[in-house]
Amino acid sequence: MREQLVTDFDKIISDSNFSKKDIELKRISLDKFIEDGFPTKKKEDWKFLDINRAIEKNIGELDFYNDYSFQNKIDTSYFVKGLEHNKIVFINGRIEKIDFKSEDSNKIEIIEESNLSNKFNNINSLINLNNAFANKNYKINVKENYSLKKPLIVYHLTSNKIYKKNINLRLDFKLESNSSLRLIDYFEDDSKDNFINIFYNFDLEKDSSLKNYKIDHKDNKNVKYSFNNIDQKENSISETFILSSGSSFFKNEVNCDLNGKYSSAFVNGIFKLEDFKNHEIKTNINHLTENTKSYQLIKSVLGEGSKAAYQGKISVNSIAQKTDGYQLSKCILLDKTSEFNAKPELEIYADDVKCSHGSASGSLNEDSIFYLMSRGINYEQAKELLINGFLLDVIEKITDSETKNLIKNTLGLKE
Amino acid sequence: MLKINNLNAKIDKKIILNNFSLNINPGEVHAIMGPNGSGKSTLSNILSGKKGYDVTGEILYENKNLFELETEERAHKGIFLAFQYPLEIPGVNTNIFLKTSLNAIRRANGEKELDAIEFLNLVKEKAKNLKFEEEKLNRQLNVGFSGGEKKKNEILQMSILNPKLSILDETDSGLDIDALRIVADGVNSLRKKNNSFLIITHYQRLLDYIKPDFVHVLINGKIIKSGGPELALELEKKGYENFN
Ligand SMILES: Nc1ncnc2c1ncn2[C@@H]1O[C@H](COP(=O)(O)OP(=O)(O)O)[C@@H](O)[C@H]1O
Ligand SMILES: [Mg+2]
Repeated sequence: MREQLVTDFDKIISDSNFSKKDIELKRISLDKFIEDGFPTKKKEDWKFLDINRAIEKNIGELDFYNDYSFQNKIDTSYFVKGLEHNKIVFINGRIEKIDFKSEDSNKIEIIEESNLSNKFNNINSLINLNNAFANKNYKINVKENYSLKKPLIVYHLTSNKIYKKNINLRLDFKLESNSSLRLIDYFEDDSKDNFINIFYNFDLEKDSSLKNYKIDHKDNKNVKYSFNNIDQKENSISETFILSSGSSFFKNEVNCDLNGKYSSAFVNGIFKLEDFKNHEIKTNINHLTENTKSYQLIKSVLGEGSKAAYQGKISVNSIAQKTDGYQLSKCILLDKTSEFNAKPELEIYADDVKCSHGSASGSLNEDSIFYLMSRGINYEQAKELLINGFLLDVIEKITDSETKNLIKNTLGLKE
Repeated sequence: MLKINNLNAKIDKKIILNNFSLNINPGEVHAIMGPNGSGKSTLSNILSGKKGYDVTGEILYENKNLFELETEERAHKGIFLAFQYPLEIPGVNTNIFLKTSLNAIRRANGEKELDAIEFLNLVKEKAKNLKFEEEKLNRQLNVGFSGGEKKKNEILQMSILNPKLSILDETDSGLDIDALRIVADGVNSLRKKNNSFLIITHYQRLLDYIKPDFVHVLINGKIIKSGGPELALELEKKGYENFN
């Protein structure tokens, strides 16, 4: 793998026009990645989803170089209908379109960043890989007091032109004070056996609001990792919702630093898995000052052979009095071969806090199924009613009604 | 309509129904009375197709072997069980459940499914007859309903589905006298030439409002005596202990 990494890296550098300093930083990240490799389950944080093994077993040798000199044709049939929106379109990792037509153009700034910072070195080896190989780095800046009129959908499209490739994406968002953004990540894969590695960084200034909804629903045989770093100032709100379902492997990681008073973070999600898929959500909520709040609810429905894990960590700094932290996960195991692992962690160094966690899993209630069937509803439909009913309360946590409907439709939940 | 011959049911080797036989003709109302644990709910469950019992014997429904039908097929063919303990189903809207159920049965019988408006009109009418607060139908099925509301909801479902054989498993217990009367009216309004009822109860009280054609006394999984409505009164007087 080492030689492959080095040659692919050199190709990327010669294709692009990074500054000397950036190249240096990228090379440091590369060297670090070469040293560490993909995370294995020996690392505590990776014990439920061994990404190294997932790649070895399901993909084999990866290719880290992508030729981005050719434009891909955008198939507009992938676009979400009935919901007016702004777009960023990635096809096979190449950014094909940035469209903020619905917005005031002087309220949104899109910067192709040239100066990398080393702030994100060594978070983990996949972020190092991303730092080394991401070929472009866009920063989207929402100006003070501006609320985007329409949501932004970032399309993550892949086609069968890529196979056994590693793709690294990076986006940065800055929400200036009192601004707001609804961001939907929409995954549609027509490729297989690739490893897709996504890193977003968000800076939420005072009174700003971010809603990030991730929808991975279409069945595909790719391995994915997504890392959201969210830095929050006073009175800012972040709401993250993850529908984790389509890919063979998907680990979503969310790190929230609640730096400002009265800031709050909500992370909710659904695992809906079948066919030996293996997904994880890992959260790190850091309550770093007084009067901050976090809330997390994860619901899972796991079919044959599938596995999901939820590692939710709430850390409360010694000065973070009046912290309110809550997390709960509930799971329905549809088969004796399905597996759910919850690893809640509370690390509390302040005394005046309210924190709780809970987790429950079980199978579908046979008596409930009998009740529904005794009313003429067949087994499959009864099961579906119960599952949808089980998922309803976490879907109701989505505060943006347009996205809530989109996700309901995606899951086939009718009104 | 329903012929039960020498039905035996066991769970984990424990005998619950013991050579149980019963014959219900179209239009008849039968009451089964028995103490707690005598096997009344087990009988209802078996008639509705609940799994998990070790069963021998024969049950014919409209001259066909009932055991060959799945639970939902029995419902399609007109068997309805009002549960002793109706289940709470979180996240499932009561109206949506009712519509799904009604249309599943109509579809299976080759009838046109009701659209949203036709359905709502039907539900409105039935709910009104039962003095069931319509607003409750927009809530999650039985979640947060009182005991009485749950029972009424069963009768509402019965009146919407209009079954041929209705089994009421202790629908009367936990109902106050007003609710009892409403429930009885609901049942009586469905009494027709071809509709039969099996009313399971603990007390004679309900039978003041729903006049049965036959009363059977079930003890330890076996009918020990059958007779007319007067049997219920006799039972009420003597109590189960002294009844033999
Ligand atoms: N699932 C079960 N497992 C074990 N025993 C059961 C089960 N269901 C019922 N029984 C037993 O069978 C007997 C009859 O129960 P049931 O039919 O509920 O009586 P009833 O409705 O007349 O009160 C009781 O002794 C009860 O404990
Ligand atoms: Mg009972």
